[in-house]
Amino acid sequence: MLNFARFVATRAVMAMITLIIVSLVVFSLMELVPGDCAERYLAFKNTQGSGISVEDIEQERARLGLDQPFLTRWGSWIVNAFQGEFGDSCILRVNIADLLGDKFWLSLSICLASLALAYAIAIPVGIIAAASNNAFLNNSLRIVSYLGLAMPNFLLALMIMLFATVYFGNTLTGLYSDEFRDAPWSWAKFWDLMSHAWLPIFILGWSATAFALQTVRALMSDEIGKLYVTAAAARGVHGRKLLWNYPARHALGPIVNSLGFDLNRIFNELPIVALILVLTDAGALLIEALARSNDQQLAGAIIFLLTASIVTLNFATDVLLAVLDPRVRKSIIR
Amino acid sequence: MTTTSDPTEVPQLSTEDQKAKEAYFTASQSQLIWARFKKQRAAMIAAIVLFVLIVSGIFAPFLSPYDPTIAGRNKDYTNGAPQIPQFCDKNGCTMRPFIHAVERERSMATNFRWVTTINEDVRVYMTFLPKGDDYHLFGFIPGDRHLFGVEEGFIHLFGTDEDGQDIFSRTLHAVWTSLQVGTIGVFIAFVLALIIGGVSGYYGGWLDGVIQMITDAVRTVPAIPLFMAVAAFMPPEMTAEERFFYISLILGFIGWPTLARRVRTHLLTERNQEYVLAAQLCGASPSHVIRRHLLPSFTSYIIVDLVISFPYMVLSETALSFIGLGLKDPVSSLGVMLQKATSADVMLNYQWYFIPVLFFIALVMAFVFVGDGLRDAADPYSEANK
Repeated sequence: MLNFARFVATRAVMAMITLIIVSLVVFSLMELVPGDCAERYLAFKNTQGSGISVEDIEQERARLGLDQPFLTRWGSWIVNAFQGEFGDSCILRVNIADLLGDKFWLSLSICLASLALAYAIAIPVGIIAAASNNAFLNNSLRIVSYLGLAMPNFLLALMIMLFATVYFGNTLTGLYSDEFRDAPWSWAKFWDLMSHAWLPIFILGWSATAFALQTVRALMSDEIGKLYVTAAAARGVHGRKLLWNYPARHALGPIVNSLGFDLNRIFNELPIVALILVLTDAGALLIEALARSNDQQLAGAIIFLLTASIVTLNFATDVLLAVLDPRVRKSIIR
Repeated sequence: MTTTSDPTEVPQLSTEDQKAKEAYFTASQSQLIWARFKKQRAAMIAAIVLFVLIVSGIFAPFLSPYDPTIAGRNKDYTNGAPQIPQFCDKNGCTMRPFIHAVERERSMATNFRWVTTINEDVRVYMTFLPKGDDYHLFGFIPGDRHLFGVEEGFIHLFGTDEDGQDIFSRTLHAVWTSLQVGTIGVFIAFVLALIIGGVSGYYGGWLDGVIQMITDAVRTVPAIPLFMAVAAFMPPEMTAEERFFYISLILGFIGWPTLARRVRTHLLTERNQEYVLAAQLCGASPSHVIRRHLLPSFTSYIIVDLVISFPYMVLSETALSFIGLGLKDPVSSLGVMLQKATSADVMLNYQWYFIPVLFFIALVMAFVFVGDGLRDAADPYSEANK
């Protein structure tokens, strides 16, 4: 048990280190944008009619702490970031944590739902495909997997919208109906959300499903040929029981491990799909922040949050795997 | 191969078999790979498709009837439907393909709006190798002949966009743009991966640990949001060419971690082999060992990895251009062309905006199949399963 705690602690430290490296990258990127917050604040004041001088800018810099050395500012940024505090966006002039708040959790839930959908499809279908010799099934799965790669989610979203507009006259965009947009949470609002959210969930899960299918099938066909499966079959285990209790359990490890990368893939598609489907969640906000207004604080916060969710998921799967898989558990607790 | 004995000891082999066997044993690595690659139907078809696409990309200025930029626009046929050459119409058949003339008018009857009508009684015949817009093949060979055109007016195989630019011409040029961006991006990523993965895999130990940690951290950041963040720094006053190189550069700088990991894994397994030890004992420097002994041992794997990572570069560029952070208008690129396609107006009325998508799916699929085929062909142990 002590060993297990040590394993969890090591993993947690590793996750923290990853996040710190990422935060350094993100923070340096934010710094690279020409012009800082002080200049922007005063440029805004300038448009309000008051004249500004170089001294004003220097004063504002001192007030915002921008005159500190790079490492100091990075340090304070990361300490705040771990507490969920990202300061103010100097373009929108609002607190970033307040601005993101619900939107971030909503997009994260949508992404996790797509991930769940992807694996809910991929695991059973992949296992069945690996076990069967049906050439038609295997070939069609191969084509679907390749399409998942060749047809990026945003093209899929465009195509679905194209068909929806041509045949149903409805673009299927947005997350809420108009009457629910600003309403407080209720069951009615939840159902309304669900009736809109299935499309983004499906589209975001699309390429992840294709990849997961490929992974599950490959792992299963590797395992099915092994001797312990033959031995189990010789003992009289057959059918679904044979498949699920023997090779499927062995193939589980790498599949659980691939969860983090699939979430990464889904986040990749999120901003663009959000733009096409007019979802005003964190993804679309990222494009807004970058493409329209060059708002580096907001963009940095979003990228950091996305990465933090992936790192957290990776940490969770590592621990989960240690709990689930006796081989991994044995190797830790020696 | 089931038998490894000398062919001369097996007298029952016919001379043809013997020749085949000799050819097998004396074949070079690349000949073996090619022989295995040829056996895979899907990969061969994909290779042909890929070849056709690459050639049509390279010769895009010649193959496309018009200039892809605003200079080649047909201002009388904006948002025009595709014109398909035909041999027959209600007035009979001819040997030469033709299209029907397009007339544009604005009068009382049309409520003073421009209305385009097709006059089915007037035929415009296609011509081959007509003189058209000037272009520079490969960037320096000047020319003004195009593969096809029409006697007068314009022909738009895939229709036109809202500025009257020919979508067919733009598609071919966009294929070329994608290939260029992908090549530069893959090349930069490859050089970085080789250096970083090479150092990491060759030296191992704590250096490897640190480099792996950084690589993994970079890999956890979702790539496209990161692309967006980096691309947003491009000053808006950049020229199209500068933008193009900047985008390729970003793609390369963000795409290296996966490749670097593969290089490292290859190196880690190879560096404990005897031939490396022999070279080291002879006093070879590390860089010499890496370049002359280790890299050649897995060149084929690296080529496969490059082919496989190519479509990701192309797709990332498309996504970036699509949201307006990548290439900008004078350059033809799928992302740029699709920017205008999201409006309901286009979706309902001008579906031919989406024709280029098919080309890109074909391009990406071809790369994926060729990459898969190459991977199987480059693996000397794959024959056991065949």
